[in-house]
Amino acid sequence: MINKWVVYPLLMICSICLIFPICYAFFISLMDGGEILQGQILPKSVTYQNYIDAFKSVPLLQYLWNSFIVSTSVTIGMLVVSSLAAFTFVFIPFHGRNVVFFIFISTMMIPWEATMIPNFLTIQKLGWINSYEGLTIPFFALAFGTFLLRQHFKIIPLELYEASQVAGLSQFKFFYKIVLPVSKTSLVTLGAYGFLTTWNMYLWPLLVTSNDSVRTVQIGIKQLQTQEIATEWGVVMAGVIIVIIPALLLLFLGQKQLQKGLTQGSIK
Amino acid sequence: MKVVVDEEHKGQIPATINKLSFLSRTLNNRTALLYLLPSIVLFSVFVFYPMFKTVYLSFFLTDLQGRPAEFVGLENFQYLIQSESFHKSIKATLLFVLYTVPISIVTALFLAIIANEKLKGIGVFRTLFSSTMGMSVAASSVIWLFLFHPSIGAINRLLSIFNIQAIEWLVDPSWALISISITTIWMNTGFTFLILLGGLQNIDENLYESASIDGASFWYKMRRITIPMLSPTLFFIITITLINAFQTFGQVDILTKGGPAESTNLIVYSIYREAFINYQFGTASAQAIVLFFFILIVTILQFKFGEKRVFYQ
Amino acid sequence: MKKVGYSIIILWFVLIMSACSEQTSKNELTKTNESSEDQRVGTKDGDKTKVVFWHSMGGKLQETLDSIVNKYNQSQNEYEIVAEYQGSYEEALTKLRSVGGTDDAPAIMQTFEVGTKYMIDSGFFEPIQTFIDKEDYEMDLLEENIINYYKVDGKFHSMPFNSSTPVLIYNKDAFTEVGLDENKAPRTYSEIKEAAKKLTSVNGNVTDRFGFSMLTYGWFFEQLLATQGGLYVDQNNGRSGDAENVLFNGEEGLRIFNLLNGMNQAGTFGNFGSNWDDIRAAFQSGKVAMYMDSSSGVRNAIENSPFEVGVGFIPHPDNMEPQGVVIGGASLWLSKGIDESIQDGAWNFMKYLQTPEIQAIWHVETGYFAITPAAYEEQLVKDEHSKYPQLKVTVDQLQSTKSQPATQGALISVFPESRQQVVTALENLYQGMAPQEALNQAARGTERAMEIANRTKNKE
Repeated sequence: MINKWVVYPLLMICSICLIFPICYAFFISLMDGGEILQGQILPKSVTYQNYIDAFKSVPLLQYLWNSFIVSTSVTIGMLVVSSLAAFTFVFIPFHGRNVVFFIFISTMMIPWEATMIPNFLTIQKLGWINSYEGLTIPFFALAFGTFLLRQHFKIIPLELYEASQVAGLSQFKFFYKIVLPVSKTSLVTLGAYGFLTTWNMYLWPLLVTSNDSVRTVQIGIKQLQTQEIATEWGVVMAGVIIVIIPALLLLFLGQKQLQKGLTQGSIK
Repeated sequence: MKVVVDEEHKGQIPATINKLSFLSRTLNNRTALLYLLPSIVLFSVFVFYPMFKTVYLSFFLTDLQGRPAEFVGLENFQYLIQSESFHKSIKATLLFVLYTVPISIVTALFLAIIANEKLKGIGVFRTLFSSTMGMSVAASSVIWLFLFHPSIGAINRLLSIFNIQAIEWLVDPSWALISISITTIWMNTGFTFLILLGGLQNIDENLYESASIDGASFWYKMRRITIPMLSPTLFFIITITLINAFQTFGQVDILTKGGPAESTNLIVYSIYREAFINYQFGTASAQAIVLFFFILIVTILQFKFGEKRVFYQ
Repeated sequence: MKKVGYSIIILWFVLIMSACSEQTSKNELTKTNESSEDQRVGTKDGDKTKVVFWHSMGGKLQETLDSIVNKYNQSQNEYEIVAEYQGSYEEALTKLRSVGGTDDAPAIMQTFEVGTKYMIDSGFFEPIQTFIDKEDYEMDLLEENIINYYKVDGKFHSMPFNSSTPVLIYNKDAFTEVGLDENKAPRTYSEIKEAAKKLTSVNGNVTDRFGFSMLTYGWFFEQLLATQGGLYVDQNNGRSGDAENVLFNGEEGLRIFNLLNGMNQAGTFGNFGSNWDDIRAAFQSGKVAMYMDSSSGVRNAIENSPFEVGVGFIPHPDNMEPQGVVIGGASLWLSKGIDESIQDGAWNFMKYLQTPEIQAIWHVETGYFAITPAAYEEQLVKDEHSKYPQLKVTVDQLQSTKSQPATQGALISVFPESRQQVVTALENLYQGMAPQEALNQAARGTERAMEIANRTKNKE
């Protein structure tokens, strides 16, 4: 559509701007302490010591694995819970549907930080400290997810539902055989959103874990930094690189699938 | 599940018919309850219960253990109304939303449009553009902390090559919020880009082709085809970005801790500080309630004016 | 095709779910494996008492701490210390506040010095004086200045651990370059001002090097106040009763703000924000010639700077005898109401940490002070001090401190909040607010917080 000699340079410039910070972090992770503080951008000599130190001081791989488990569980749990709720709001006419829906939506406005302490106490009472349950279950219900899916389910013609019932399809079958496939785009979008938000959490995982068994990577990065004593930035950056590589790999490998998920399945 | 299925077979009545028997009407209620049960339970335990507790606490002063110790009525709210630092917080939050939301969306839209061209090697660029999606808040903030460093950071070193005076990114109150915004926009780009690209690719090619035959210009097609067809996606992404902007925390914690001179003390950070460092759950709760109403108003406005413009196919 | 796809997704879901539960049980398995492995190391009977130790030592500090803990665990058969990182001091306290007094609370808790009053008031902790009395343990072997800080109402509540004080660090090469005596660190305000003026170099409208800088952090303000004998709050710095009024906005505090304001206006003061690493990088890359740092940062500054580094005492106003410094850092607290054998283990470990050998390792590896002066006689420390003679200055400054309420340090339960107020005051000052006004604002904020704390405390 646009002249490709305009597009290519634009693409190049934008890519450089976007990935420069990542490259910069990578360069720093290869420098030794003195070199970093002199403010070099490219390393003069390459050292891998930072990576060794990072692995030595924090069990990063374990943390990565935990993060992965937690994010995947939240994504799936959230999709199941939200899609069930959204389906109900669209296809099952029950008393007070609008009121209930409004109450659901209102939870979207509640800042998570405001509810953190009471939630922490709840988790403690349930005995979920240092467990995957404490890290995942509070995030299964997401008003935003319900809302998004409801918007998408609404596009599905009600006649389809009636027809399926005439054809003897049960409600639940209709839900997972017709509604879900047709809404693939939204499900993938919501899934990606849920995965990322969970992956990014810091304060909550720190609160509900007190040892390494289920801790997530965000805590690992923080753990590499110190307060009063000089932080070894090389090691921190090495930690950052170690942490983002699996995420980036996953993204690069899954990008085609994600793209497909985002484009197919919409009803024309 | 088996039970449900059987029950449904019994109640095979199109939902739209008015003359529902009492049994099938309650059937609907019961099925609805069953489907909604997980959400209702989770919301009650993890959202409503703490929210009521927050409202309750906002009328109290709390002791050092965070237990309500003295009922003070609306004193916490009165204090907030007078508090200069809370005014700064609100201002910073609104500015932050204003800086990040439109720019994030426009940048990502621009990237999505140029990456939507069918060119050789476009896959590589798409991957690069979405790469910040794989970056967590903690990791990105640490990197930007270094980029913004007043003396050894890469940005100031680049500026010095062009003989521009070093900018005190995170130290100067007039720049700090901008710096946080830049970081946030950068972090938003990956996800926003990917969603918008998906939206663009869902648009029917034929629409463009027929417009081209009519000799429509690039901007005309943009206005008349791209934006309307993209509106559901745009609406979605604007909602997300808005809510996230209001609830920004990690970047502030790592980059500025709310400083300098409270210029980046966004409301959520202020709540965190009040509750977790100063142990004032009362004031923190009052702030949370104010934030709640802010987001509520914005969301209502957005739905009122935004959703009307959304064009569903 | 779609059908197949969906059954795959559902299958995947089921698999993940079962994988999750498997993972938890596996984790439990590895947990027990780990612990049994731990128990095999250094013990024959394998039933050591576990003592959980929460700390905020990240990065390099954690490595050193872990190695000391390992050493302890292998040195005896009775107790096993389990050291767990809990985020920054603030984050760790947040968590403690919620679990304090329950089974989830740790046996030993590390908290920063400004949390002392809060910890005492919380009632979650057993004063270690109980244990000192029980076995007539000798606390006098500790550094006097450290004893002064942590002895409250004649009682030790917590065991001092990582300790530091502020110092002035300067660039010797730059001193020689501008004709200053590189072996004589400026001490008075006017010496600092003069040196800063000479050291500042401006190129066009860009300042290549600032003369002086100070981290925007309340701790340094407190120190500059204490060295003048100025009190932070009333009631003898909160040591003879709950403080009610702020005193730091008096003449002593104003002197500090005037000094900083004067240099800032003259362009000889560089503001590098509130991040420790930022100001250090500025110094090490030659952007600032003198700055105030923690004693624990000295060795790092010497090692990483491509120039000679000098260390001096913190500045004080002209015509006034400096009173010295207040100890900073953190101490270890022992939980109340837990099993007696666990308490004994915690106490045993605390004593172990104090031994000169361990203190020598701790001092050399981290840069924090040895809390037992005997550690300075250890060969390890002697070698270190002959390698870095500047380290001696930090010890001298600590040991020449005069004991009085100002240098004992203030005790207020809302100290973390007050520090924030001071930080904001400093930032406002650098933005051009009048010194007295900035100080008063911080004082008002602190007083409100103290008032609420006192109000709610009396309600109990």
